[in-house]
Amino acid sequence: MLNFLIYIAVAIFVLVLLAKFVKYSTMPIHLRWEIYPVPHDPGHEHGGSYYEGVSWWAKPRLKTLAGELKEMLMEMLFIKRVFTYKRPLWWLTYPFHTGIYLILVWFVLLFISALIDIFAIGILKMPVYYLTLVVGSIAIILLLIFSLALFIRRVSDWELRSYSSFLDYFNLIFIFAVVLTGALAWQKDFDFTIAKDYMKALITFSSPPTVSLETQIHIALLSLLLIYLPFTKMTHFLTKWFTYHKILWEDEPVIGSEMEEKLKKYLTGFKVKWSAPHVDPNLNWAEEASRCDLAGKCEVKL
Amino acid sequence: MRERIAIQDIAKKEEQLVKITLEDLIKLPPPYDKPGMEPNVTEPKPEWNQNYVTELDGYVAIDIPWKPKNKEEEEAMVQKFINGLKKLMDKEANWTFLQPLLLSLEYCARCQTCSDACHVYISSGRKEIYRPTYRAEILRRLIKKISSGGNFKTKFLGDVDLNAKTILRLAECAYRCNICRRCAQYCPLGLDNGLITREIRKLFAQEFGVAPQALHAQGTVKHLTTGSSTGLTPDGLKDMIEFFEEEIKEKTGKNIKIPVDEKGSDILLIHNAGEFLSWPENVEAFAIIFEEAGLDWTLSSEMVGYDAVNYGVWYDDVQLSRIALKHAEIARKLDVNRIVVGECGHAHKAITVVADRVLVGEYQIPRESCLPILWDIVRTKKLNLDPNKNDFPVTLHDPCNVVRLMGIVEPQRKILKEICPKFREMKPNGVYNYCCGGGSGFAIMTSMNFPEFRNKVSSRMKFKQILDAFQDNISPEVKKYVCAPCSNCKGAIRDILSHYNATANCGIHYGGLVELIVNAMVDIEQPYIEMF
Repeated sequence: MLNFLIYIAVAIFVLVLLAKFVKYSTMPIHLRWEIYPVPHDPGHEHGGSYYEGVSWWAKPRLKTLAGELKEMLMEMLFIKRVFTYKRPLWWLTYPFHTGIYLILVWFVLLFISALIDIFAIGILKMPVYYLTLVVGSIAIILLLIFSLALFIRRVSDWELRSYSSFLDYFNLIFIFAVVLTGALAWQKDFDFTIAKDYMKALITFSSPPTVSLETQIHIALLSLLLIYLPFTKMTHFLTKWFTYHKILWEDEPVIGSEMEEKLKKYLTGFKVKWSAPHVDPNLNWAEEASRCDLAGKCEVKL
Repeated sequence: MRERIAIQDIAKKEEQLVKITLEDLIKLPPPYDKPGMEPNVTEPKPEWNQNYVTELDGYVAIDIPWKPKNKEEEEAMVQKFINGLKKLMDKEANWTFLQPLLLSLEYCARCQTCSDACHVYISSGRKEIYRPTYRAEILRRLIKKISSGGNFKTKFLGDVDLNAKTILRLAECAYRCNICRRCAQYCPLGLDNGLITREIRKLFAQEFGVAPQALHAQGTVKHLTTGSSTGLTPDGLKDMIEFFEEEIKEKTGKNIKIPVDEKGSDILLIHNAGEFLSWPENVEAFAIIFEEAGLDWTLSSEMVGYDAVNYGVWYDDVQLSRIALKHAEIARKLDVNRIVVGECGHAHKAITVVADRVLVGEYQIPRESCLPILWDIVRTKKLNLDPNKNDFPVTLHDPCNVVRLMGIVEPQRKILKEICPKFREMKPNGVYNYCCGGGSGFAIMTSMNFPEFRNKVSSRMKFKQILDAFQDNISPEVKKYVCAPCSNCKGAIRDILSHYNATANCGIHYGGLVELIVNAMVDIEQPYIEMF
């Protein structure tokens, strides 16, 4: 039964995330709204853009993948903006996020350990065993302490509390509950041997080992978290890709791009719909924009 | 005193939510660190409350009477607002910003990292209603409330009452942000409370027809119907051109014919028409530089074509598109190779960046900033310049629209480093600059008591930066120059210098970049910049 819940949870997690990705990917191309520095621009060190050169459209557009990768990694690995601009919060949120990264690494290590067992790759057994032990232990401790610390900060800090909804607290409590039960389960399986065997059972679709009550509760809660998570704003690890790459760093001009046909479709196919006196809701965007004065007189047609 | 204003208060409190006091505002450097150096704040006139929204902070940005008079009007207002919220979420009605809006609404962690980026919030003494997340959180909650049908889910997602008070205050609150988007630079999740502010403004403009008169009735509407938001007509422009040519002759001895409507020119130069009326020396300096450098350029005298402004970029996508399209059409008819925008920040961003994706086909005419062209002229020594003629302290204001939002950072600095030996930076600068406080329309919103909000709160950080930059020479005997290559920034800086009497107290003057270039020209005998 627990196995079934895990499979369902993973499937829902992946499918809902995929649906979210599709939802944001298929939205209309928005008007440009970037913010500098745009790290793929060769002038990003001083915040510059291709607009710094004369006749920019006549020159090849240079992009540096390294600049973008560096900025992405600084944000993903170190939460750079919180470090720079809100250091007191960083001391809590960074260990928490490090705990999440480590627990993900732990799952991967557990998966590898299971494969090592299945395929009897003896040489890797002990290194992975110790790595799993170290990574898992640190992750649990970090998550346990700092999910609670973030909750306490949210409750005790007026500027956070007054903007927080029930769900903001619930999310942290939920994570804390999952980690707490995980920590209790860990007491019964200190070197993660049972966890590895459980993973092996999941991979091979066989019967899982007998586990403690704490572990059963933990697996159930973790599965529920996996089901719940993609419906929440905790999926910001996915949507950050859009906010940075598709909005703040998206500096693609229409000249020389392939977006023009799409834009023409929006302009001529989408109704404006708004109802203020200066807008005719029945016109499409091209017709509306071509109304150069309020009397509707205009020479411009698209 | 720092009032603790909660989200719910916007819908509930009867009295003014916050009150600005001198004691709460951030402290200014010398000589403004002493009491009595700045005018006190004033109270709104009691009768304003009948028609205008003074219940937010006592200041009035939306200077049209739009308060509901009875219960029926209140209900109609709420229904209209709900219709507007739905259109903000609609793929057709808001294709222009749907994706960034939804992401910013759905993923805020309420970590408040953005608050420390906001000059309005900090300058005010951290008044809650100016926090970047305040208006965003209200919009977020209202949208959740409407989309969930107001059921129990709103209790979990955070609630706020939707009534006339909420709507009226929210509309005013959307005009307490310069949309400089410094907050978005700080956000670890890449979310944009500046965009949310603009979307709120848009809802009121595009659904209610409600916006400050300076932006809408006297702004974009006047621009499209008379040719310029300044009221300048094509005939008026032609008269002014003659005047400029005479003045150039008088000031510099140069015989310059300013080209107008020259078909087939390389460049169509578009100025903010405010320059024609308030800073003609800027327009004249461009003419001198472009002619001396041998550029093939023209101005347009066609309606709209001689005014680069596009106030739509601050509040209304329809008006933004109309004006951008008109600019492109004029360039197309003149058969120019490119449009070059003069020293006007928001016009830079509007026509080059934001409206890029409403210009398709033959209207996709290349547009660029004047700044790289000016640097190219200086760099290639097309003018004979003597930096010693600019031997006074100069600092540079970075217009947000040109710098943070368009990435043009170095050309203007390189020019200043070349021609101004006493150039010094403000801190912070470049893409991390602070707004002048006049951004998103504030510089031209001059009715009722709104200028006081601008001078006291939104421009205060810029005034502090200017004073800090000149602390080594703060005495009024040393004439100093704030270079602001943007019309609206110049307007805001002009007003703060006047409000704080800083020209008399500290010898601080202001102006554009081209004036400094012409001032350095060897063959012009008299100083072009009138500071002395």
